[in-house]
Amino acid sequence: MKNRLKVLRAEHDWSQQDLADRLGVSRQSVNAIETGRYDPSLPLAFRIAELFELAIEDIFQLESAP
Amino acid sequence: MIDATTESRLSGQRRSPFFYAGMMLAAIGAIVALAATNAIGSTAATILMIAPLWLAIPMVKAANRRADAVNAACASKGEVNRRYIKRIALFTSLYLATLALATFASREYSPPLELRTFLSTLPGLAIAGMFWAIGRLIVEQTDEFIRMLTIRQSLWATGFALSAASVWGFLEQADIVIHVDAYWWAVVWFFGLGVGAVINRIQYGTWGAI
Repeated sequence: MKNRLKVLRAEHDWSQQDLADRLGVSRQSVNAIETGRYDPSLPLAFRIAELFELAIEDIFQLESAP
Repeated sequence: MIDATTESRLSGQRRSPFFYAGMMLAAIGAIVALAATNAIGSTAATILMIAPLWLAIPMVKAANRRADAVNAACASKGEVNRRYIKRIALFTSLYLATLALATFASREYSPPLELRTFLSTLPGLAIAGMFWAIGRLIVEQTDEFIRMLTIRQSLWATGFALSAASVWGFLEQADIVIHVDAYWWAVVWFFGLGVGAVINRIQYGTWGAI
């Protein structure tokens, strides 16, 4: 999976800790998701999408997707 | 202007839990060394063993401060870690106390079989309590990524300890290595948690919660 989390976070001028606070997860979690080391569960992906007011597929895409 | 007392208190607050854990281990090591060299009797050693247990209190406080600082934003996670630290400190203290009691009783008296069985079971149950604390940490953890890291650590520890026990067992059966008491495999399991943490660090960029 690839994602636009880092870009979206930068657009909001949030640090990883700021985003972690808003999602109720650790900063390590945000870092692992951003760097593509960890794919979040569906509930967490929904929380992220809700926070940025986007659809999940606007944030997360399969590596093979165009 | 900060007076000496305040400065000393602030300096104390900055001390890591590892400092107190190190102090506790050093004190226990010193008592064991004194007992082993017959500088003190086993009764005195048993009584002295209680003293280092008090270091568990500042150790837990320092660990809680660290958990609060790391998870200031994630209150539930901080609470989960605080409970875990308290449980581990409790069972570690129980382990040391019951081990000292069992050793003291068997050396100083000749307790009947039933009492000996009871006293010998207690340190093992305290270690079982540590496994329970790790299980509760996994169950109560609200951060799914950190939970995954903890589970990975536990699986690495289990694989490491059971593999080591299997290889050692057959080597022992073939009279190639010395006999190792079974409780050492629990120690190897805890060492395996460290191995798992290193592997987490390499693969996921963070050590994990344990």
